[in-house]
Amino acid sequence: MSESARGRVLDVNLHLLDRQIVDRDGEFVAKVDDLEFERGADGTLYIAKIMVGSRALGPRLRGRLGVWMRSIGERLSTDAIPTIDFALVTDIGSEVKVSATRDDLDAAPLEGWVRDHVISRIPGSRHAGE
Amino acid sequence: MKIFQVALGILTAIGGFVDIGDLVTNGLVGARYGLSLAWATVLGTVGICLYAEMSGRVAAVTGRGTFDLVRERLGPRAGLANLIASFLVTGLTLAAEIGGVALALELATSVNYLLWVPLVAFFLWLLIWRVKFSYLENGAGLLGLALLAFGFALWKLHPDYGSLVHQVVAPHKPGTERLNSYFYYAIALFGAAMTPYEVFFFSSGGVEEKWTRKDLMVERANVLIGFPLGAMLSLSIAACATLVLKPRGIEVSTLGQIGLPVAFAAGKVAIAFLILGFVAATFGAALETGLSCGYSIAQYFGWQWGKFVKPREASRFHLVVLLSLIGAAGLVLTTIDPVKITEYSVVFSAVALPLTYFPILVISNDPDYMGDKKNGRVMNFGATVFLVIIVVASVAAIPLMIWTRAGQ
Amino acid sequence: MRASDLIGREVRTADDESVGVITDLRCVQDGPVRGTQAALRVDALLVSRHHTGSVLGYDRERQQGPWLIRAVVRRLHRHMQVVPWSDVDSEGPPIRLRRTG
Repeated sequence: MSESARGRVLDVNLHLLDRQIVDRDGEFVAKVDDLEFERGADGTLYIAKIMVGSRALGPRLRGRLGVWMRSIGERLSTDAIPTIDFALVTDIGSEVKVSATRDDLDAAPLEGWVRDHVISRIPGSRHAGE
Repeated sequence: MKIFQVALGILTAIGGFVDIGDLVTNGLVGARYGLSLAWATVLGTVGICLYAEMSGRVAAVTGRGTFDLVRERLGPRAGLANLIASFLVTGLTLAAEIGGVALALELATSVNYLLWVPLVAFFLWLLIWRVKFSYLENGAGLLGLALLAFGFALWKLHPDYGSLVHQVVAPHKPGTERLNSYFYYAIALFGAAMTPYEVFFFSSGGVEEKWTRKDLMVERANVLIGFPLGAMLSLSIAACATLVLKPRGIEVSTLGQIGLPVAFAAGKVAIAFLILGFVAATFGAALETGLSCGYSIAQYFGWQWGKFVKPREASRFHLVVLLSLIGAAGLVLTTIDPVKITEYSVVFSAVALPLTYFPILVISNDPDYMGDKKNGRVMNFGATVFLVIIVVASVAAIPLMIWTRAGQ
Repeated sequence: MRASDLIGREVRTADDESVGVITDLRCVQDGPVRGTQAALRVDALLVSRHHTGSVLGYDRERQQGPWLIRAVVRRLHRHMQVVPWSDVDSEGPPIRLRRTG
């Protein structure tokens, strides 16, 4: 993988897919579960969005596991599959860094649900182990 | 201060090395085979040193956990199969450790172990929820040093050290034992020394403690000094069983029998240390396995994980840990003998080993990730040899288990 | 169109001969600027006979160890081809190339 930003060559499977996405503050957001392309002039494909979540990951798993994962995602949410605009990506290295914060991105609705309905109800959830 | 930090790390590694799998398997094997299978423990120790060093180095240089990288390298399909297998084995091990704590508490109090299980599970959860990571790791590791009671007992038995050493370096399978069971137990000992969760925990712990390249020296000292010394503890458990249980034909099936040599050779104070050691070692291992259940799933899916953030910021991670503790405790409460659970967990550990060993080996060689800290030629040679050994053990484990009916 | 649609898709020549399946998409960062970076454009397809997933990085020129794993992976992917995107006639499935044979 060459270093200069322009003209850099990346392989989607090797360098992008399944990489950890990290937000502006270094916090973990999600994994790159899939990528969405958009068409440019004369049929060229450009990477437009990162797709995140079980409904994005499901199709990449073969067979029953993939179907199962997708249906779990569908049962949890009927909104569109969470995506992150690729324009927010600031660096692609061993992790994919994005310029927004995790809350702004809102890419992991399940985390919020578990936090609000389970974890917040247990005393001490605001203390980092001390 | 650096010396103190290194010493603490080493002591923690020694005390933390032995878990219920090592206790049961070494005690059982010592009583039956003497020290003729000590080579398997030695082999497993060399293996875990290599494996932990690689994954610790990867964690220090990349700041990423094992399963995060496993999915990246193997892809989501193979990574998921890997995750499921590893999670199940880790869960089984967690059940074994919880059972071990409960059995140790039964030894101490004569209160039935089943009654201890819910309390133990709750206490585990509470500590994981509230206590700082380093306190958990260091506390459990240091208290586990109480198992040196076995070393003390060994010394008190005044053994013929020459004869013991001879049994180790020139192994001779007892005539009454069959060859297939002999190798079955070799794999069990190997799996007990090289438990996968230890590596998830070690590498995720490295990220928890925010290791950087500067910490590599300390990390290597922990592994290369601490683990072998911890293995000496395992061997002393086997040696005690060889000297006290084997001549009397006592076959090990309970935790109490494993502690018998200490009761026999040393005094009441040593027994108190022993029970403290049992409780600390298994409780510490339960903390590690419980956390590892959470680490593996969260890292595969890319969730925020770890104790270095507030629980509410790693909600899914903490939920997985909670559910894993409940599930594992539930398994023990079905009254299946915890010693049997342990025996199965070490064999399945050996089966699952290649799944996580292989990606770590690949990543520790990747210059894009590791830069100049990638594996050298010598390390690669040793690591590849072990890859072959691990695959052989993994493939042979289940057939041997079926053939010998789990070591009959 | 998603990456998961393309990866694993079969590639055939104009004569309907199978070239293999797509194992990776090679992108070049020379598109219009979005945010702080130039967009990544799909430049070529990595096509291999076996769908054993990514080549784990062992196809690069550098000698990545350990030797045994590199040898096995290279053997599995010894027929790997790099097909420029401009050679693609239609996206199918399967992907059809302009060339024959």
